Amino acid sequence: MNLKISALEFVEEVKSGNITVEEFTAKTIERIDQVDDKLHAFLSVNNDAVDQARSIDKKIKSGESVGACYGMPISIKDNVCIKNSKTTCASKMLENFVAPYDATVISKLKKQDAILIGKVNMDEFAMGLSTEFSAFGPSKNPWNTEYVPGGSSGGSAVSVSAFECVASLGSDTGGSVRNPASFCSTVGYKPTYGLVSRYGLISYANSIEQIGPLTRTVKDTAFILNLIAGIDPNDNTTIDNKNEDYLEGIESGIEGKKIGIITDMIGDGIDPEVLTATKEAISKLEGLGAVCEEVSLDMVKYSVAAYYTITATEAGSNLARYDNLRYGYDFPVEGYEFNSYISKARKNLGPEVTRRMIIGGFVPSAGHTGKYFLKSMKVKSKLTKEINEVFKKFDLLIAPTVPIQPFKIGGKINDPVSLFLIDINTATANLTGKPAISIPFKIVNGLPIGIQLLANSMNDKLLLKAAYALEQTVTLPEVPI
Amino acid sequence: MTKIGLEIHCQLTNLESKLFCSCKANYREFEPNENICPVCAGMPGSLPRLNQEAVKKATMIAMALNCSTPEKIAFFRKNYFYPDLPKNFQITQLNIYGDTSVGGSGTISVGDKKIRITRIQLEEDPGRLIYEGSSSKNQITLVDYNRAGTPLVEIVTEPDFETPKEVRDFLNILSDLLKNLGVADPSLEGAMRADANVSTRGGNKVEIKNIGSFHDLEKAAHFEITRQESLHDRDIPIVQETRHWDDRRKITVSSRSKEEDLDYRYFLEGDIPWVKINPEIRTELKSKMPESISSKKERYVSKYQIPEQVADVLSSDKFYSDLFEEAHTESNAKEVANIITTELMGLEDTREKREASKLSATHLKDLSDAIQTGKVSRNSSKNALHEILKTGKSVSQIISELDLGNVSDESELLTIIDKIISDESQAVEQAKSNPQTINFLVGKVMQATKGKADPTLTLNLLKKQIGI
Amino acid sequence: MVAIEEIEHVSKLMKIDVEDHSEYLEKVQTMISYFDILDSAGVESEEISMPEIPIEQLRNDEYIPFDEKLIEKMNHYKGTYVRAPKM
Repeated sequence: MNLKISALEFVEEVKSGNITVEEFTAKTIERIDQVDDKLHAFLSVNNDAVDQARSIDKKIKSGESVGACYGMPISIKDNVCIKNSKTTCASKMLENFVAPYDATVISKLKKQDAILIGKVNMDEFAMGLSTEFSAFGPSKNPWNTEYVPGGSSGGSAVSVSAFECVASLGSDTGGSVRNPASFCSTVGYKPTYGLVSRYGLISYANSIEQIGPLTRTVKDTAFILNLIAGIDPNDNTTIDNKNEDYLEGIESGIEGKKIGIITDMIGDGIDPEVLTATKEAISKLEGLGAVCEEVSLDMVKYSVAAYYTITATEAGSNLARYDNLRYGYDFPVEGYEFNSYISKARKNLGPEVTRRMIIGGFVPSAGHTGKYFLKSMKVKSKLTKEINEVFKKFDLLIAPTVPIQPFKIGGKINDPVSLFLIDINTATANLTGKPAISIPFKIVNGLPIGIQLLANSMNDKLLLKAAYALEQTVTLPEVPI
Repeated sequence: MTKIGLEIHCQLTNLESKLFCSCKANYREFEPNENICPVCAGMPGSLPRLNQEAVKKATMIAMALNCSTPEKIAFFRKNYFYPDLPKNFQITQLNIYGDTSVGGSGTISVGDKKIRITRIQLEEDPGRLIYEGSSSKNQITLVDYNRAGTPLVEIVTEPDFETPKEVRDFLNILSDLLKNLGVADPSLEGAMRADANVSTRGGNKVEIKNIGSFHDLEKAAHFEITRQESLHDRDIPIVQETRHWDDRRKITVSSRSKEEDLDYRYFLEGDIPWVKINPEIRTELKSKMPESISSKKERYVSKYQIPEQVADVLSSDKFYSDLFEEAHTESNAKEVANIITTELMGLEDTREKREASKLSATHLKDLSDAIQTGKVSRNSSKNALHEILKTGKSVSQIISELDLGNVSDESELLTIIDKIISDESQAVEQAKSNPQTINFLVGKVMQATKGKADPTLTLNLLKKQIGI
Repeated sequence: MVAIEEIEHVSKLMKIDVEDHSEYLEKVQTMISYFDILDSAGVESEEISMPEIPIEQLRNDEYIPFDEKLIEKMNHYKGTYVRAPKM
């Protein structure tokens, strides 16, 4: 049984009867048992997975109609609600929280006969880019377990790259899908804001984040996007995508497309290896008939400050509901006054979350909002205007996903500003609502480098086409685990 | 000089569902926490889903109060921790990035005075708290989220009131207006609440919260004015603060609010895009708005010659003016208005009585017609009305069953009149010399017929028999 | 510069019991000092923009009860109340 197949190959194998869902699922669980002690991608594993697999096999055998996933094992970041399952956000605060409903993406995947194989690790409440801030311990990079897998969707990237599932759903607030995808050599996708419903995604910074797939191939991402995208009455920010088929025509190439190279994302602080890889990617795209040209986005240098200000403000509000009254951990209210009780209860938030709560209380407060929050919102507006202008001239934009390669666990955790700068290439897509993808491009010194492409809003189809074209130009080694 | 401004919260009780979810807007009929879902209970991952009709109804209120209505409305988060707020923030509206609340500035007339409206905003109601336990040690708070998310309109006025009486008049007018618009029933428990801010002699503004009823609002304002004036008299400065109305002691009490509680960190609610209300929609809403109370009143007076006072009472009550519209014809309008305002409103003076009443518009129409054609006297019509409310039987059936019909049979009346003429010879003589006094004899006939004698016929026959 | 008093004030505002505020001071200070870069962005005259939705696309006013008794999945007390500390 080969677990190292893509989502589309999996579907073909099951359809053709070469494998059964039960075999594949059992094997996947076995794999998790074998490698996850080392990698710590999973926070919980679905105990009913094999039973569910068996019933899908039964459906297939009896000729009943079967959903497009055909029992594909998919891992889910632990900030997406699955009814009657624990959804912890990798936080002590929600250690016992059992979601009372399915997120929209989960209902859609269930309807398509996906097997939700387990919930995967992340930085607590998605605040981080290394998965080191998980309250339940860090995940490790399968390429080298001394290194971080990126984050905050670290568990998603690890589980896909180490063959503990076929695909995964993560969430991307400032790069949280693309960053770990780049660090673990998987495809990672941040859709146009509003393309995928956020209903059931536990909010961190709701005005800019999206759920997105992490997969082994670009086609797999298009396949998953076909299943989860579209307008949702439960999320007023979703957009009607007219049931777009993102797989259709994906191989049609990028001949004649104009691609802008964002110079502000390949400047100071970039690893030389990453810069070299980016240049190689550009020449490969040119080899495919694209026209590449440098372009500058002045606001990018302010984007990280704006990004942290906005996310901290929204997080300060989004996480206010964790007061331990309606759900939470065992801590009786008797004998406490309201303020002292919840202040004590909220001590279960980890140190990074606490820091961001403090910043999130500070930057929008009456005395400071003009200097920080309001200015950040204006940077966001201006950056959006800038990028919209650029997209009048270019079809796509290119930059490395992350300006550096994966770093060692514990290496940067105490240096907030150097961690900030890791987000510089990814935050722009979130602040402007544009779709962006990280494509595995190179392995240098045994660690991956991903290349990022961006497109204009609702041009997700074009973006996937270009990503597919670039993906076809490279052959990468297999993960050494 | 006294200045009073108001913040009135009114639930849109006529809506089916809450502001951001499909739970029931009327939470009153449920067991605690039975009317909740992941959205209004603030469960992790849930998102608000704005109710279209709530935006429309709130916009109609803004129009009715002559407020500007913007093309785009925005929602904001007001952040503070309180156990009745499941998300520990309230979704509300604000005008910090231009006029983006459902209503901008407007005015409303109260008597001869114009009261300026600052703004109108649409927001969610919090849940309800019940305090339990006697000793401080075992005290806890019980929370019921059934009300959380109920659509609420906040109407903010400028400090244009000078007396508590003006405040009460305004609230009565506003309450009638909201009812007439069909957006709310302000008489439902907790459906309409108000906070007041009071300043006297140019001193600091004091906000009074926690006022349970309009009646108490007037009292609270009175108390606060007196309190502030006595401080002025003793040259003690007024502290700018929030005070709570203590319903038991009927006084306002300073609430010690800590400084940090006042920083609400308002910012845009990203889960709700700005809602575009284009001009066509606003025109359509305007055209669908029911006739205003003042225009109704004017019509009643000019078209039907209904006395001004009667028209006033009738037009400001939506239930009865609707009933009037259905029951009246060109010719009986005055009579219908008269029955409603002088009889019916008294008989149905509570909600329970009104709900139990079996009266329909047809009853009213038939009864007025019967009075106008002389089938029943005004006097007897009261008995008939009473019976209609109780039984719902038809007017003609009730007149015959209770024998309320007018005695208009000439020979029957003549027998009675002849007997009275012989019994009251002195009065007959008097009437001959002074015809005015004949009314005494008419009264005697009425007495004998228990008020059912046709009055015109009686007078004519009496004159004929006496020979005047 | 952020003073220790401000950290105390904000942690109170955000309702998190922080025992040693100085523990957070340095990192928060570093982060907030970094945000000073915003002062040179020259965006004062910029308008804030947001996505829009036409009113017609909002949900209809319909009562649809949640399909389960949600309170049973929450911490509950005395029948169906949620319990909070004294105020």
